[in-house]
Amino acid sequence: MQLDEDQALIKKSLRGDRRAFEELMRKYEKRIFSFVVRMVRNEETAVDLTQDFFIKIFTVLDKYNYEYKFSTWAYRICYNLVIDHIRKNQAQVDSLDDESVSARDLIESDNVSREDGFKALSRDETRDYVWGVVDQIPLKFRELILLRYIQDLKYEEIAEITALPVGTVKNRIFKAKEILKKEMEQDGLLV
Amino acid sequence: MACLSDETLIAYNEGSLGAIESSQARDHLLLCPYCRRSAAAFRALDMILSTPTLHTPPARLIPQVMSRLYPAAARITSIAAVIAASFVFLVSWIYIYFDFSGSSLIQALRLTASGTSSWLADVIKGISAIYDGAQAVSKALGALLRFLLPAPLGAIAAGIAIFALSGLLALTWFRPRLKRLNAKRP
Repeated sequence: MQLDEDQALIKKSLRGDRRAFEELMRKYEKRIFSFVVRMVRNEETAVDLTQDFFIKIFTVLDKYNYEYKFSTWAYRICYNLVIDHIRKNQAQVDSLDDESVSARDLIESDNVSREDGFKALSRDETRDYVWGVVDQIPLKFRELILLRYIQDLKYEEIAEITALPVGTVKNRIFKAKEILKKEMEQDGLLV
Repeated sequence: MACLSDETLIAYNEGSLGAIESSQARDHLLLCPYCRRSAAAFRALDMILSTPTLHTPPARLIPQVMSRLYPAAARITSIAAVIAASFVFLVSWIYIYFDFSGSSLIQALRLTASGTSSWLADVIKGISAIYDGAQAVSKALGALLRFLLPAPLGAIAAGIAIFALSGLLALTWFRPRLKRLNAKRP
């Protein structure tokens, strides 16, 4: 059986190679941390959860099935860990979800239209703005946008991780994009 | 033809519409500036979302995970180091304080060495010379130690040293376990 890079690292880790597991963590830490921090919207909590995730992965590494992609398996564990945390702290999340989105201060007064449909913000400003809006949309949409774009997963993989039908995943992502577009139009960011 | 729904526009951008639907959508987009703008906005949104700014986790994250995952190895190494250091310290201290340089055991070792083959004897002679130097230093130190610390005080000092080393050992061994126990408490 041909092992990919992640699977080779898992084999080594299971044989007690500390460096192999460290390498595996380094490979995924940014994407996992970015996903977690955008889900829980608190950096300290995200650090704790990311650490708990890696420890969880380590403790169940021997149960990993080599027929599947490591990333999908790992993201499912991460997703469940974060969702459990959010459910336990539901009140806090609900209050955050109720916050209204406003990023008008990002817009310059003398905006000029751009061909890509956005008003004249720099690329970084636009990205910060869009991701800022993502942070504010309800969790059931946000989690799918994060899995799709931060973890770079296909609809089928997202469906597997979240245990939702593929159709529901697609619809919610479409809906999320509609919300994002609407928010941007309200903030006057779209032409 | 009615304007395209957002869902259709997103699916069109993603290329997930069927051939006929896609062709109809393309024809409509050629004629409808409103839908064209909408499609462009969704395309732009998709482009922005596809290049997210990833958050960099703090540098302490991985070392902390590693120390939680591999506490035993680190502890065993540090405990072994503490035990070895304690042993060397105590043996040196007893040797210097009670001046065992003239003891029969040491003399017997030296005699055994001189009875061995010549090349080995040369090596031992070299070591012996170093030993003599060290012995002179240790004798001087021993004299100073005995001058500064009379026997009862010496015993007290040795007791304190043993107590301190045991404390260090206990801290090295128990502290991480206590920490983990505390961390597990709800």
